[in-house]
Amino acid sequence: MKRIIFYILLLIATLIFVYPFIWMTTASLRPEREISYLSPLSRNFSFGSYITVFKRIPIVRAFLNSLIVSSSITISVLIFSSMIGYALSRLKFKGRELIFMVILFTMMIPFQITLIPLYVLMVKLGWTDTYQALIVPGMISAFGILLFRQYFKAFPKSIIDAARVDGCSDFGILYRIIWPNSIPALVTVGIITFMNTWNNVLWPLVVIRKTSFMTMPQMVVLFTVGGQAEAQVGVQLASAMMLAIPIVIIYMIFQRHFIASMAHTGIKG
Amino acid sequence: MSSVRIENVTKKFGKVFAVKDLSLDIKEGEFMVFLGPSGCGKTTILRIVGGLETPTKGRVYFGDKDVTNFRPKDRNIAMVFQSYSLYPHLTAYHNIAFPLRIAGKKKEIIKKRVMETAELLGIKDLLHKRPRELSGGQSQRVAVGRAIVREPTLFLFDEPLSNLDAKLRVQMRAELAHIHNELKITSVYVTHDQIEAMTLGQRIAVLKDGVLQQVGKPMEVYENPKNAFVASFLGSPAMNLLEGKKFSFLSSYGKNKLVGIRPSDISIVKSGIETTLDAAEVIGNEIILYLKLGDNIITVKTKSLKPSQLKPGTKFYIKFNKEKIYLFNADTGEKVKSS
Ligand SMILES: Nc1ncnc2c1ncn2[C@@H]1O[C@H](COP(=O)(O)OP(=O)(O)O)[C@@H](O)[C@H]1O
Ligand SMILES: [Mg+2]
Repeated sequence: MKRIIFYILLLIATLIFVYPFIWMTTASLRPEREISYLSPLSRNFSFGSYITVFKRIPIVRAFLNSLIVSSSITISVLIFSSMIGYALSRLKFKGRELIFMVILFTMMIPFQITLIPLYVLMVKLGWTDTYQALIVPGMISAFGILLFRQYFKAFPKSIIDAARVDGCSDFGILYRIIWPNSIPALVTVGIITFMNTWNNVLWPLVVIRKTSFMTMPQMVVLFTVGGQAEAQVGVQLASAMMLAIPIVIIYMIFQRHFIASMAHTGIKG
Repeated sequence: MSSVRIENVTKKFGKVFAVKDLSLDIKEGEFMVFLGPSGCGKTTILRIVGGLETPTKGRVYFGDKDVTNFRPKDRNIAMVFQSYSLYPHLTAYHNIAFPLRIAGKKKEIIKKRVMETAELLGIKDLLHKRPRELSGGQSQRVAVGRAIVREPTLFLFDEPLSNLDAKLRVQMRAELAHIHNELKITSVYVTHDQIEAMTLGQRIAVLKDGVLQQVGKPMEVYENPKNAFVASFLGSPAMNLLEGKKFSFLSSYGKNKLVGIRPSDISIVKSGIETTLDAAEVIGNEIILYLKLGDNIITVKTKSLKPSQLKPGTKFYIKFNKEKIYLFNADTGEKVKSS
């Protein structure tokens, strides 16, 4: 009996949680006049809103821009943050702990504080309206460093010694030995970095004016609140759906690793 | 292949001396064993030779070359670790192939060498397996394979057999001796097991608290220990060490002496020094007796008794073989003279 109540409660919770997503998905497919209905069903499903979006804004270009920016940042964060995480956890040198403290400290500074100086820097470098402006500031992440450092600390020392004796340099040790044995950490940092970058609106709004360099969330925000959507809710929802789909797909591909690694770091942390 | 020269090497960890002013020459092609109890600095000295640790003082030479500041990858050494330390994500094949791949060897050459190595170690059937699917003995073979697959200047072994069960240990010991005979590559082997040291080592170096006690051929060291520590560390059961002043029958050896005698050099006789049996172990046709003499226990190895005679509390009379007595200074432990 207790079990049944428990499952009913879970079911209700799930419905409450999932309903907005279902509603959003179906609403984006319904004609404008049916959108305010609470029921997700309709006889008049169509891709009309999506077609309108494609007609009004260069959303494919924005999608590609987002893909370029998010992938570059993710790859770079994996490479560089794991390098720093390795150095901070496995190499001995003067000032190691100090450097780590400084990196931790930068995590505590809200982005809003560094926004203006960073913008000024971009202007001075002449990087506004370029990919560099979107990519370079995100190439190393303190969060990634922190997570890699913790994860690599637990790696057996004698295996690293074996690799050293077998002729590996530190790069060899990191990329040939530690990386293949740290898939959960790589997936976690990868997904979180990709999601954060993908969803970032503020920074692109600051450094990008030209439509051709706009990222997808930036364009969708400008589209929905900037008037081009002409207050058509269906069109706004369709653009928001397109924004969310890549993230959902990526999450579904990697979720197994992701959950495993969260549990893993949780135990060790 | 090359000789190794360890020159006045000292290693400190904080305030702890792991190795103290150690000098030793290892000849080309020689199998040298470092022997000592746990914590005496064996691993540290091996890691210094391998370049995984830099000495606080002193130098290391391979041949005439000063390699003290060389990184491990520039020393062309191979090492077998106590914990096997195989790469978990690679199959046995790729574990063995790894040093060759790092050295940039061609694929066909790698394949040929890995297969030859697997053949030599009898692990051809295991090559597709990953480390977690291998037993301890199999893992150790793969680890040895990874070391011998390229022809290194030097082999380093850090207690490679200590995680194996007794039977496998004996078998691997013989195989390691065989491999050294085949390849004749200079080897430094570290162990706390004196039987391993005696059977494998062409020479052994006995260490205590980071200080080298004695170097020599196994039998030389066994028969001519320089001090009481070496004397008691080699041989099983260990040599009896008796304080001369405690026993009137030893007074002829002079004051302030430690009298050493191996358990096999004491015989059970009809009348002699009276002792009481404390415990006994029957090992095949040999019997180890633990005899109480005052508050000391004297170990005796004999073949002349029957298990039925071994009731605790029984009186036994013993006699020392005077020719086989070792004398040490009771304060310093240094040998005084051997008869
Ligand atoms: N990395 C290290 N840091 C601090 N102390 C160490 C380190 N490695 C070894 N030691 C100390 O040095 C001494 C010798 O250790 P080790 O060479 O491992 O001995 P063994 O291999 O003979 O057991 C021990 O007292 C040990 O605690
Ligand atoms: Mg050791």
